[in-house]
Amino acid sequence: MTVARGHARRGAAIAFLSPAMAVIVLFVAVPIALTFWISLHDWSMYTPLTQMTWRGLGNYADLLHSDDFLNALGNTLVYVVLVLVTTVPLALALGMLLYFPKTAGKAAARAALFSTYVIPTVAIAIVWGALYAPDYGPISQALGALGIDSPAWLSDPETALLSLVIFHVWQMTGYYTILVIAGLTQIPDDVYEAARIDGAGFWRQTFSVTLPLLRRTTTFIVLIAAINAIQVFDPVYILTQGGPAESTTVLSYAIQRAAFQNGMAGQASAMAFSLLLVLVAVAGVVLAAMRRRTAAEGRS
Amino acid sequence: MRRTARAATALALGLVILVPLFPLYWMVISALKGPEELQKAPPTWFPSHVTFSAFGEVFQAVPFGGAFANSVLIAGVSTLSVLVTSVMAGFVFAKYRFRGRDLIFWSVVATMFLPPIVTLVPLYWLVSTMGLADSYLGVMLPWLANAFGIFLMRQFIADVPDELIEAARLDGASEGRIVWQIVTPLLRPALVSLAIFAFVFYWNNFLWPLSILQSDDKFPVVLALSRLLSYSTSVQYQNVVMAGALIASVPTIVVFLLAQRVFVQSISRTGVKG
Repeated sequence: MTVARGHARRGAAIAFLSPAMAVIVLFVAVPIALTFWISLHDWSMYTPLTQMTWRGLGNYADLLHSDDFLNALGNTLVYVVLVLVTTVPLALALGMLLYFPKTAGKAAARAALFSTYVIPTVAIAIVWGALYAPDYGPISQALGALGIDSPAWLSDPETALLSLVIFHVWQMTGYYTILVIAGLTQIPDDVYEAARIDGAGFWRQTFSVTLPLLRRTTTFIVLIAAINAIQVFDPVYILTQGGPAESTTVLSYAIQRAAFQNGMAGQASAMAFSLLLVLVAVAGVVLAAMRRRTAAEGRS
Repeated sequence: MRRTARAATALALGLVILVPLFPLYWMVISALKGPEELQKAPPTWFPSHVTFSAFGEVFQAVPFGGAFANSVLIAGVSTLSVLVTSVMAGFVFAKYRFRGRDLIFWSVVATMFLPPIVTLVPLYWLVSTMGLADSYLGVMLPWLANAFGIFLMRQFIADVPDELIEAARLDGASEGRIVWQIVTPLLRPALVSLAIFAFVFYWNNFLWPLSILQSDDKFPVVLALSRLLSYSTSVQYQNVVMAGALIASVPTIVVFLLAQRVFVQSISRTGVKG
């Protein structure tokens, strides 16, 4: 390891670090503190910060009684849970499908899967709006051909949030699948050889070798997928604007709307800071669970 | 038994290719349909009459060409800046020892997971207080460096042998020279994948430009696209909207196809070391 000595190297370290650190401190760290500070005030966003009026924890107390906030929180929770229970198992299955069998077309499949991740969300959400369209859309037509009555998807409060979940799963599963494949490359071949010698078949190998050895990767994917789902904004803005009947108003959409359309920056900040606390708690629980498991494995 | 398993695998692979690509297909064929065909219900799965008129109309409906140029500018400058700042910071975190280094590094990494919505309100206030609301600089400034780039570069620079750096120092090379002429050339695959990640991220970024920009002559292409959508919700204009969506998507698709292998490799790489 290089040991930095002398003024020249210290000067270099400061010069190299300061551009990145200046941006991160000024535009990430300071705003986190400011979010909390603003959340303790009433503020319209477009007046100077000095004209805020102190509310203490009043904004937070209001949130607990606000139907809008509780609705957004509930929608976000449903959205995140539905995304997690579908993307994570799907990514694990697809990762194994695209890693193990020796067949042609795997590279093409990987590329196709990952392509959904690089296309602008705004552009592809617009396309999904057309796919979901009741009369002119291919989904309802295909379901009709199969003799299934197509739901109204985005225009029905019962199915709108689910439609956004399906879009999210379609968009993000490829990315998580690549992460699974990355994890699979870390499992040495001789583990499988040993399992085969012991007479383990495909399913036995999957559940006794592959999945346990992928636990770190899986935990990471759960965490990333939860964080990505919890902040969904673009498709809501493009496809539903939170409707119909507020059925797709998720937290990030509610925050942006409260601040930029309703001029309630204090309340928006209280929602934003609550979101951050939830996120830190979730990350803490997931990471602690992972550490405890690793520790338990170390002892046995 | 083996044969059914192989057939099932082939079928699954086929679906894994078809399902991700179908919306792209629908985007393309909808952009090529004329207004009459778009109003047909049920829809046609292949345009009976191909017309390219929508690709001209999209530039008249909104200032789409200017928006495209804006995106090139915003994503290009931000990407370059992220490359430079990440290499420098990554070098310090990988190769210098000082008190608090790891604490600072992991604090920076933690910000990688911060959803931008959490800090949107104060960020808007900060940037507009600096007098940069509704400006190109205002769109770019908060994103000129990011934790992901620093993390990625540190992981790769850590693999550069210390002996190489020490030897350069003994030869009297300055620290700047070591970073740019010795370390950076060794990072080429990592730099390519960071450049793609950053470019795709900045090209697609929607929430921040939506919040900080007002004048449509400064809109990036995704913002222009969302305006276009709100002007033309009727199904007969769908070809224009789809043409816009297609044009907005082309740069990220091209970049992805050009560098797909490096891209996937570096995801594996960060997965290993992270």
